[in-house]
Amino acid sequence: MRSATVALQPRGYGGVVQRLSARGSGVDNHAWNAMMVAAQAGDASSYHRLLSEVVAWLRRYYARRLPPAMIDDAIQDTLIAIHEKRHTYDPTRPFGAWLAAIARYKWIDALRSLKAKPTEVLDDDIPVADHEEAITSAWSLERLLATLKPAQSQAIRLVKLQGLSIEEASKATGQSAALVKVNIHRGLNRLTSLLRSESDAD
Amino acid sequence: MRTEPLIDRLANELKPVRRRTGWSDALALVVLCAVELGLFLAMGMMRPDMPTAMHLASFWWKPASLGLIGLVSGSVAIMSLDPVRSPRRGLRWIMALIAVCLASGWLLEPSRDGFSTLTSRLDWVSGLECLYTIVALSVPAVIGLGLLIRRGAPTDHAGTALAAGLAAAAWGAFVFVFACRFDDPLYVAVWYSLGCGAVTLFARCTLPRLTRW
Repeated sequence: MRSATVALQPRGYGGVVQRLSARGSGVDNHAWNAMMVAAQAGDASSYHRLLSEVVAWLRRYYARRLPPAMIDDAIQDTLIAIHEKRHTYDPTRPFGAWLAAIARYKWIDALRSLKAKPTEVLDDDIPVADHEEAITSAWSLERLLATLKPAQSQAIRLVKLQGLSIEEASKATGQSAALVKVNIHRGLNRLTSLLRSESDAD
Repeated sequence: MRTEPLIDRLANELKPVRRRTGWSDALALVVLCAVELGLFLAMGMMRPDMPTAMHLASFWWKPASLGLIGLVSGSVAIMSLDPVRSPRRGLRWIMALIAVCLASGWLLEPSRDGFSTLTSRLDWVSGLECLYTIVALSVPAVIGLGLLIRRGAPTDHAGTALAAGLAAAAWGAFVFVFACRFDDPLYVAVWYSLGCGAVTLFARCTLPRLTRW
């Protein structure tokens, strides 16, 4: 009869638990078995420790299977299921396989609930602000300013682009206020003539 | 809600539990079935021609087949209450067993009269009565298995419900064998199959809804 109802342990249960143990998660199957046996006998401190360790395992388990927003709910559902069905754990078999079976069952439940609460499908053309013009403008301006004398480009950058006053620009550059004005004037004229010549060429 | 408060709450609520074992579930089910069979026979429901019927191979074919199907199905259902066990492979064995039982019935008494006597052999009126009685006799087993499923932790509700339905139906039919005066394998194959099918379908549709956890 035993062969007729072969224990069809879903693939990879034991493997998953062992791999996680090996990665230093602190998972010790024998310790978990012992803690669960103690929990079945009513030992609250062992049970608390077991559940705390199980949470870390469950978080990793669901992180690879569910959207981030659903992970906490799935973990809590699984903890409640472990609590309600703790009498079904058989101490002669590994706790990891039992836990993995319950986690998988709750994962399928979570996927079903996801199906029952359909998320809104996003349009392929999501309207977002187009920054292309700003990027192109900034790049073009830098290219034009680079053609000016350093004193002219610096004065234009500080006063016209960064919004400093003539006096502040004068202090920042070490130029006199009158020279700052002259450099701005000459620089803008130079830029205007450059743009005109470029548009003529086009 | 964060997980730490939940863990604290669950740990504080912890009480010792009595472990579930397959043997204890099986024992509870056997007691229930024995009581049902005892009551059924005590009510004087046994067929009057039982001594004669006991000399027929076709009579023994009925309880042997139904008992075997009920035993295997019940075992599969109970074992699948453990979350790490799936009933799927067991269900395949049950289907094969049903096919073997039906084939053995046909070998026991193959129809030599073709379809000419089909209507009289099937006896619609008695057949419907048989169907109704099998369904009624399956009810205690369905309830018993439903309670066991609720207490257990099956992870394949559909498969477990199917196995439980087959077990309950086979048991209901097994009990009815002692009252049914028809031993014709064709009659049994048709009406018993319909009765068992109805019980199995009912269990398959209702038990998964009532036993979710």
